[in-house]
Amino acid sequence: MSSSDVSQQRIDELERRCARLQEQLDQVKVEQTTYLQNISHQLVAPLNAIKWHIENLTAGRLTNIERAKKVLRSVYSQSTIAVHLAKNFNLMSNLEADHALTALKEPLQPVSLCRLVINLADDFQPQGWDRNIQISVDHNNFDKAPDVLAMKPLISQVFSNIIENAVKYSDNESVIKIDGHFDPKNDAVIVNITSKGIPLPQNIAKVFERSFRSEQAKNKYPAGTGFGLYIAQRIVVIHQGSISAQMTARGEAVFTVSLSVRALEGKARLRDPKDRTSR
Amino acid sequence: MTQKTVLLVDDEQGFLEALADALEHEGHRVLKATTAEDALRILREQTVQLVTVDVMLSPGPSLESQTTSQDAGVWLCEKITKQYPQLDVFCLSVVSDLETIQKIESFGVRFLRKGETPLRTVLNMISSRLTGIAYSTDRRR
Repeated sequence: MSSSDVSQQRIDELERRCARLQEQLDQVKVEQTTYLQNISHQLVAPLNAIKWHIENLTAGRLTNIERAKKVLRSVYSQSTIAVHLAKNFNLMSNLEADHALTALKEPLQPVSLCRLVINLADDFQPQGWDRNIQISVDHNNFDKAPDVLAMKPLISQVFSNIIENAVKYSDNESVIKIDGHFDPKNDAVIVNITSKGIPLPQNIAKVFERSFRSEQAKNKYPAGTGFGLYIAQRIVVIHQGSISAQMTARGEAVFTVSLSVRALEGKARLRDPKDRTSR
Repeated sequence: MTQKTVLLVDDEQGFLEALADALEHEGHRVLKATTAEDALRILREQTVQLVTVDVMLSPGPSLESQTTSQDAGVWLCEKITKQYPQLDVFCLSVVSDLETIQKIESFGVRFLRKGETPLRTVLNMISSRLTGIAYSTDRRR
């Protein structure tokens, strides 16, 4: 084989590689567009619903005081959803940028998971009332658990994502049970969120994959990003904790989050294991 | 004036409730469905004069083999206009894909951008269809 043949082969190979890269780039562009459209739809929907509710209130169409109160509760729920989504998208853009959470510069601080979860339960409860879903926090052992060292807004989003999912996919007239305790063996606080509704897929680990939504979830709620549990897992891993899901024999989905009390002591900021710049 | 019945098909509770409140205030009877399956069941069982349908909609268990949640509303618009040609159908959705909108309008369905269209406009358009009186903007403002 002559040297010109070898050069031609290399050129052909490079052309094929360029074509493959171009295909990948096109695919990424399509995914990015879909992602942005999804974000826009998800955020705009609750805000527009709020606009319509307010128009009804200001136009005097809600003359029954009880009905007006219910509408205001709905406005509150829709606002909670919008804020929740905006936080997720902000986190997602940081995670996707892959120089990630160190850029957030959130300080580590002692966090009472019990208090945090109670606040979130109160925030999401109005969404549940429409379908008679109750969020119940068993704080008997939970409030005796020590604080964990964490980036509070991020850890809050972990539980916010799990609770929001639980409300969305629970059966009507069901109870979402949240409990927590200190595990002295692992020096960690364990939190369980139990709900009954759409079952987890057979391959449970998939629920933590980016953009994954089960067919049943899509059919119940067509709009959704599939980011919530992915974000939750990334944040928990960054905090050197663990998150898992399982189905009980009674058909309940249980999400368990374990966060170490002291693992992050002495670390001013956290390092994202996926952060390329920190390798 | 005889009370008219409107069926609202949407799985987004916020929109569903807001539009229902407005229509009830205008004196209309409102029925609600959150899946395509529920909507067809209600149409079989009750007399309805006008239907509003969202595009992204849960098909409901019995229709999952026929349509997906991404376009169950388009499927439903076609189904309703064929089965109930006398019914007025509006599609209220946030979709902006021109091809989808053209397909919906090809069934004789009026497309309105949900949320971006003021509720008063939606209300006036629906009332205009129901009463047969030409559409006019709201003079009370």
